[in-house]
Amino acid sequence: MTRKWTTSAYSYAFQIILALIVLLPIAFALVSSFRPLDDIFKYLSPVTWKTFWPGNVTFEAYENLFALRGFGRTFFNTFFVSAVCVIFGLLVGSMAAFAFSTFEFAGKKTAFAIVILTFMLPFEIIAIPLYSFVNRLGWIDSYSGLIIPNIANGLVIFLFYQFFQDMPKALFESARIDGAAWFRVYSQITMPLSKPVTVSAALLIFIQQWESFLWPLIAVRSKEYKLIQVALSDFVTDIMTYWNEMFAAVVLSIIVPVILLLPLQRYYVEGIANTGSKE
Amino acid sequence: MKTKQHLVPYLFLLPALAGLLLFKIYPIMNGLIQSLFTNHFLSQTKKFVGLGNYLDLAKDPVFWKSLFVTLKFNLVINPLQIALAFGLAILLNHKIRGIALFRAVQFVPVAVSVPSACVLWNIMMSPEQGVLNSILIALGLEPQPFLASSSQALWSIILIASWKGVGYWTLFLLAGLQEIPRSIYEAACIDGATGWQQFRKVTIPMIMRPLTFVVVSVTIANLLLFSPMYILTGGGPQRSTNVLMLESYNSAFMYSDMGRSSAIVVVLLIMTLLIVTMQFRMLRAKH
Repeated sequence: MTRKWTTSAYSYAFQIILALIVLLPIAFALVSSFRPLDDIFKYLSPVTWKTFWPGNVTFEAYENLFALRGFGRTFFNTFFVSAVCVIFGLLVGSMAAFAFSTFEFAGKKTAFAIVILTFMLPFEIIAIPLYSFVNRLGWIDSYSGLIIPNIANGLVIFLFYQFFQDMPKALFESARIDGAAWFRVYSQITMPLSKPVTVSAALLIFIQQWESFLWPLIAVRSKEYKLIQVALSDFVTDIMTYWNEMFAAVVLSIIVPVILLLPLQRYYVEGIANTGSKE
Repeated sequence: MKTKQHLVPYLFLLPALAGLLLFKIYPIMNGLIQSLFTNHFLSQTKKFVGLGNYLDLAKDPVFWKSLFVTLKFNLVINPLQIALAFGLAILLNHKIRGIALFRAVQFVPVAVSVPSACVLWNIMMSPEQGVLNSILIALGLEPQPFLASSSQALWSIILIASWKGVGYWTLFLLAGLQEIPRSIYEAACIDGATGWQQFRKVTIPMIMRPLTFVVVSVTIANLLLFSPMYILTGGGPQRSTNVLMLESYNSAFMYSDMGRSSAIVVVLLIMTLLIVTMQFRMLRAKH
């Protein structure tokens, strides 16, 4: 009995230390983003509880971000690009998955191999040649350039495909006998039954887009189409002085995925687990 | 009627497949081809040079240094992240009170992008005013230069990337652990298996599939990791963090040398394929 008690005491101690390692930098950012600029440096050394607790709360950093640095536009851009990628990514991906799980057709194996290949393919490999191509299309510095190349997503097709595979085929057959066209079967039977996988896929796409850095870095030149992650990195590379604004920008970049993931965590984890455990 | 029927699957498939072919497959092919040409900026022409770009790389000490940094980085960060993710998954699989809260906390870095993690830790690690150095001083230790020193920059990036990455990889392994039926452990217990034996003979074989996935995915992600080096160090100090992906990016966008940039990406792609194939072989053999 005592042995069991000590193991769980160790376990708690460990868990708490690990939780602090994860949370302290974020807590520090959150607190600092509500401080006047001078106060941040004041509480840095020595580190006390005050380092992680705000004294004079001010929204100055957030006001400056939106009023002086055009962060509103950046924030909107990122949200817009991510949302459009989710909508079209879900549509295009689920349709392809529907084709794979419902029909037998010539070239199916090749097409599926392309899906798997692109799902394993890291974006970094294609980023630079993709830039040359998108540049020739004239899409650099536009929403098209940020959105269209990212719509078709092998991972999303794969997720939907796995879900559709487990659906009873009899459902579709009876609808077909009633004379429903295939698009109606897809849109009125299959998709309404696929809410969990749709939420998982939507979360995966949104977070992937929200956090993407390399493509927004090379596909955008002007401030007009800047996305949040690039704006964040600009703070480090160009304007290292305004720590309070830097922290506010970090908080804004974290808060959106957190708001989505807190209630929908289960779906995200399920989506993730499905990509990892099956072949 | 019949011919129309034949078209249906292709219509469903078309938008996705067109997107994948145009924006994923074609760029790879194009990258392979571009690596065989040089761009002449003044005359705006391309010249076929065969393996010229690759031969230039082979003679280029900057490339070799960059390859060395990439391999060193991966030899440390991949085993580290896999071990930490595995350990964390086991810890989070303990059925103790409040475990849901601890799981949620470890899940938080998923919501933190790599650039956010870089900004956060760049300030935490700031040599003059950073929190880490304040803590070191409070403990009576010497303050460290971290990212500003060529001997510590790569290690600092390894720590930052792991802080951000481990929680995500843990998700896969935790899901795998939760799928192992309790009855197998109970049976092993009755047969008198020790904790270590249970781990070797039950946990490892049962978790092989997600583990293989994590090993391969971690390796691919880190071989091509780019943003921390770009944001935090620009490859320095003294090229100590100049990984191949960054070198390729700089060749393309700082020196407008698309041929060299593409050749480096092709080298990276081949390297990744070789390493991943090897990992698959080794993990399958154990399976």
